[in-house]
Amino acid sequence: MSSPRELERDFAVALLGGPDEAITGQIQGDGLEPAARIAIYRHHVLVTLTEALEATYPVVVRLVDRRFFAYAADRYIRDNPPIGPCLFEYGESFADFLSAFPPCRDLAYLADVARLEWAMNRALHAEDAVTLDPRWLSAVPLDEVARVKLRLHPSVSLLESPWPIDQIWRTNQPGADPEATVSLDAGGVRLEICRLEDDVVFRPMTSATYAFERALATGLDLQRAVDAARSADPSFDLTPALGELLDQGLIVGASAPSIDTGGPGCKPTQHPC
Amino acid sequence: MIARDERSADTPAPVGVGLRAPHVAEVMATRPAIAFLEVHTENYLGGGPAVAGLERLRHDYAVSLHGVGLSLGGADPLDRRHLMRVKGLVERIQPALVSEHLAWSVGGGAYLNHLLPLPYDESRLEATSRRIEQVQETLGRAILVENPARYLRFRHSPISEPEFLTELARRTGCGILLDVNNVYVSSYNFDEDPLAYLDAMPTGAIGEIHLAGHATNDAAGRPILIDDHGSCVAEPVWDLYRRALARFGPVPSLVEWDTNLPELTVLLDEAARAGRLLRAAQGRERHVVAA
Repeated sequence: MSSPRELERDFAVALLGGPDEAITGQIQGDGLEPAARIAIYRHHVLVTLTEALEATYPVVVRLVDRRFFAYAADRYIRDNPPIGPCLFEYGESFADFLSAFPPCRDLAYLADVARLEWAMNRALHAEDAVTLDPRWLSAVPLDEVARVKLRLHPSVSLLESPWPIDQIWRTNQPGADPEATVSLDAGGVRLEICRLEDDVVFRPMTSATYAFERALATGLDLQRAVDAARSADPSFDLTPALGELLDQGLIVGASAPSIDTGGPGCKPTQHPC
Repeated sequence: MIARDERSADTPAPVGVGLRAPHVAEVMATRPAIAFLEVHTENYLGGGPAVAGLERLRHDYAVSLHGVGLSLGGADPLDRRHLMRVKGLVERIQPALVSEHLAWSVGGGAYLNHLLPLPYDESRLEATSRRIEQVQETLGRAILVENPARYLRFRHSPISEPEFLTELARRTGCGILLDVNNVYVSSYNFDEDPLAYLDAMPTGAIGEIHLAGHATNDAAGRPILIDDHGSCVAEPVWDLYRRALARFGPVPSLVEWDTNLPELTVLLDEAARAGRLLRAAQGRERHVVAA
């Protein structure tokens, strides 16, 4: 008789396609081979986790067809089972897996389409956050504006791809024109993916706004974010870029050297002075 | 709480349905006359429209949070982060019922997305009791623990499942979520008597009953029942439900459906059938009270 931990480990190994001798030795026959009993559980694990990945990656399913997707998912699940019980959080590394999966070699754009779908899934389930009141910024002392740091909404992802993944995504939606085609020569794209109200949306970005938001997302202050944007495009204008983020409610926290809305999760104060 | 001894004929019987994502919009729009909705806790632990929608439905329905991921019967300590997220949802939704399973799902660091069986022995009874107590202390309320559907038995498992659940309830004060489909499936798969299973369960501890459909699979020439929640409740399971109501009284009851999800009306028809049986049981109880 093995310890509870050993038994679970042996069971888990068998469920993920490894050898089952260690666990079958602990199971009663009851008129059916223990290995056949383990197979019932294994089937459920692989089928339901495949369904979870299909739900998160419907465009990838469409691009490679369902049977091939199930084959790829089976390989992925055995080597990368979930580490937590919320299935909407499962599959983040699937794009990396696809990019290294030899049968997908000829679909160079596939991994980036998966990254877009992951960003959309992440946006859908991201924590709710209270939007910063734009009046906060007007209360910042002028000599501190350059050093203001802004926190983006948890649903925001920024994605850059050498492929037109936004067009690929759109032409593979239910109800899209089946005759529509995407030219892979259309070039790359930079996208902002986020949740607005209840809807997950994405929009193309210029190289400058992309650099600006990426800098904010990595915790740089406004001056450095503007510097990053201007190194991509010297004509970058802060006012409309910032205004758009505020209008869409995508800024959920801010700090200046002498004022702070608090750490992550804190509600911004409307009148910091 | 969901009333279990409702006396008014105008009040809906304490019957609910499992709410799955494809039905949410229709339930929001039509507000069907059922007493409660049950959801899988783990699908509502993020932000966004899912949990906001559940919060809105909470105004019109009692909600039952049915967890699948705490791994109460596992060898590892409870996942504190997961438990705290569950606590956050419980505080936000204020559910009528909170339930989990007598099962484990985390092994060797992997979450296996299945309600896996454990051997029933004294050391597991002690460890599972401790975990249930931790959950109840953290949530500040009693939970219900469900009997799983089983496809295997361990060589070393000296305690019967009803005995194990009875003892968990006695030691921790938790209630039992009696899934009569699981009782039927497990009993069939091991040539046991499902009525004997019911008779071995304590009458005062059943806080909810689950009903669902099952499939019959061929496993190397031997039929095996699979708890797939993919069809109408089978007739022998309705029979068992009647027997359960007779023994345990008009306990809040729920119809679950997960695979091959039908139109909402099909699910509501199943719930209505459960409601008629439950009302009949209420009538009998009233009769006993009057006598």
